This record gives sequence, C-alpha cells and structure tokens, in this order.
Amino acid sequence: MRAVSSARAPGTKLWDLPVRLVHWSFVALLPLLWWSAEEGRLDLHRTLGLVMLALVAFRLLWGLVGSETARFAVFLRGPRAVAAYVRGLRGCTHAPVVGHNPLGGWSVLALLGLLAVQVTLGLFAQDTDAVQSGPLNYRVSWDTAKALSAAHEVGFNLILGFTALHLAAIVWYRVVRRDDLVRPMLTGKRAFPAGVAVPKLAPLWRAGVCAALAGALAWWLSLGGPLPGEAPAAQDVPSAAEYM
Amino acid sequence: MPPLLSLSTGEKPVKLPLLISLAALTVPATAMVAVAAAPVAVMKARHHNFENMGRAMKVLFDQLRKGAPNFKVIQASANTLAASAPRVGSDFPKGSGPESGRKTDALPAIWERQAEFAKAAGQLVVTTKALQAAAASGDLARIKAAAGQAGSTCKGCHDQFRKPH
Repeated sequence: MRAVSSARAPGTKLWDLPVRLVHWSFVALLPLLWWSAEEGRLDLHRTLGLVMLALVAFRLLWGLVGSETARFAVFLRGPRAVAAYVRGLRGCTHAPVVGHNPLGGWSVLALLGLLAVQVTLGLFAQDTDAVQSGPLNYRVSWDTAKALSAAHEVGFNLILGFTALHLAAIVWYRVVRRDDLVRPMLTGKRAFPAGVAVPKLAPLWRAGVCAALAGALAWWLSLGGPLPGEAPAAQDVPSAAEYM
Repeated sequence: MPPLLSLSTGEKPVKLPLLISLAALTVPATAMVAVAAAPVAVMKARHHNFENMGRAMKVLFDQLRKGAPNFKVIQASANTLAASAPRVGSDFPKGSGPESGRKTDALPAIWERQAEFAKAAGQLVVTTKALQAAAASGDLARIKAAAGQAGSTCKGCHDQFRKPH
C-alpha cells in the first residue's frame, strides 16, 4: 500500500465490478446472517437471506454470460490442469494466473454451490415452533421443514469450514508465494508480465439484466413462489412476532 | 400340606435364603425404575403433546397463507389444538423439570410461579376453544383474529416458562 500505489503500473483489469461487488457483499452478509440467526432476529435473517439469494443467483447467471474471468466454462478446468497447477505450486514455477487458477476455480464453485444450497434450504426452514420461517415453509410439512432446518444448520458449518479454507489459501499465497490476492479483488487490477492475454469484460448493461432477473426471482420467492393462477401467499396472517 | 416355598410341582423346594436374596434384589430395583420412569413418561407425553400443537398450528397458519384456504384442514387443526390445550396445565408435575436430569426446555419458573403458570395454561384453553369456534364458523377474518390470539397465548407462555432458543 503506502506510496507504492501511485508508482505502480496500472495493471491489467481482471475482476469486473459485478464480481467484486458480489464478492464483498458476501463478506458483509455472511456475518450479518450468522448474527441475526444467533440473536433470533429472524425477520431480518429472512430479508438478508433473500438478498443473499439474489446475489448468488446473479453470480450464477454471471458465471454463464459475464466477463471471461467470471465464467464457469473458463475457470472450471479438468483434473489434469488442476494436477499440473498443484505440481507447479510445489515447485518454483508458480506464475500468477489471469483470473481463477485451476484449483481456485473449483473452490469458487464449492463456495457458490454451498451458498446456493444454503439459501435454498433457508427458504423452507423454520424455528422451533414454525413461528418464524422461510417464505416457502408453508408449502412443506412440519417434518420436512424440520429436516431442512437441520440441514440449514449443517450447511452453515460447511460454509464456515470452506470460508476458513478460502482465507487460509489467501494467507498462504500472501506469505509463501508473496502473491497478494486481496488487493486485485478490491481494485479489479493487478500487474502481469507483459504479453498476457487481457480478459474480455462483459458490458455492464448485461449485468443489469442479470441483476433484474435475480432480483425478480428473490421477490417472487418472498411472495411464497406463487405459481401461475395462484394467489401470492397472504401477508396479513397474524404477525409472527405476536405468535409463540 | 404342600411345601410352602415350592415354586412349582418340581421335586426340590427352592431354598428360603435364595428366595430372600432374590426378593432383596428385585424390590429395590423395580422401585428405582418406577421412580425414574414416571417423570420420563410424563415428559415424553408432554413433548409429544406440544409437538402435536406445533404441527397443528403450522398446518393452520399454512392454510391462512395460501390464496384459497381449505376450511376442513383449518377445522381439523383447530380441533387438535382445542383437544391438546387442556393437557398443558396438568402436564408439569413436580419432578418433571430440569431437576429430573433429563433434557428439557421447561424453566423452573413453572413451579416457582405456579399460579401464573396455571393462569397462562387456562388462557390457552380459552383461546384454542375460541379458535375452534371460529374455524367452525368458516369466517376467514374471524379465524385469522382467533389464530393470532391463540398464537399470542403460546408466545406469552413460552416467553416466561420456556428456555429461549
């Protein structure tokens, strides 16, 4: 950091704004979701969970139609590429990858997949008395909801574990490889040896379309996911706060 | 006169010291089991009763959330609630609390403030009866109001007498 930043070469843009916004939103939301659940602030937890769901949905869409470094088809590599990368890590041939490296790509998929499963479970989850519940809870039985709630708790522990692994990897790259992964995720840019292929960035309007789709999905789910011809879930049911 | 201590028509009468020692072993054992089993049975039955009410409450509220509620389902749930509610007041005999050593969410306050607890349990009987009547009427607005009342009674009691989750 210090005065170096001004002297630094501008670098190559590798993380677009949507990827960074979503990433840092996850960082902010995860502790809030944890805290709101622990404190029994389940109204807040449900709202934040729907925001998380929209972000995950957006990121999954962006993984299909977004910038080159955001696309699953680009960063999910076969076992041979992963093995070669790991061998390179152990040796001295480590060179920074523009975008996710072959191992990190799978880590991204694992984290996103866990978040996707977790928000889906949350839609059906309920507290002890089914007083406070996810927006789709009313569509499943008590026993189903209980099982999914238990899975929702396991899911969080898995997310914690993978987050710890994610952070450990960042520290390892920083300390052992002298490779700062955090700064590029903030600025979107980092310096690469001359001649690297510059990733193709998707236009922002496309992110707008993905965001609108993801937001619509979360909004529809918040209404109980009414099917065509079905009325949305009634919102005038006695408020959960005054019940049980 | 047949031998007093013969257990059957067998040849050898069972020896007295053996019988006494057998009896000495069994009596305290069964007595201990009886003491330990009673609170467990009570606690299990009451847990079951509360779960039943929870399920019924969920089924009822789920119907209220649906665009077109099924009144038959609402009535059945309200009947379950009205039938289960009167048990709550007598479901907490002395010895069935945390002192039983069993896992329970029942707070000692139930036994420390018995009059208040009895009043709250009585209130549940009243509000679930009212909900049952509302359900029978088929008037959705009335059902919603009564369900809210019954729900607040549940909450009122949980807030005071149940371990927070």
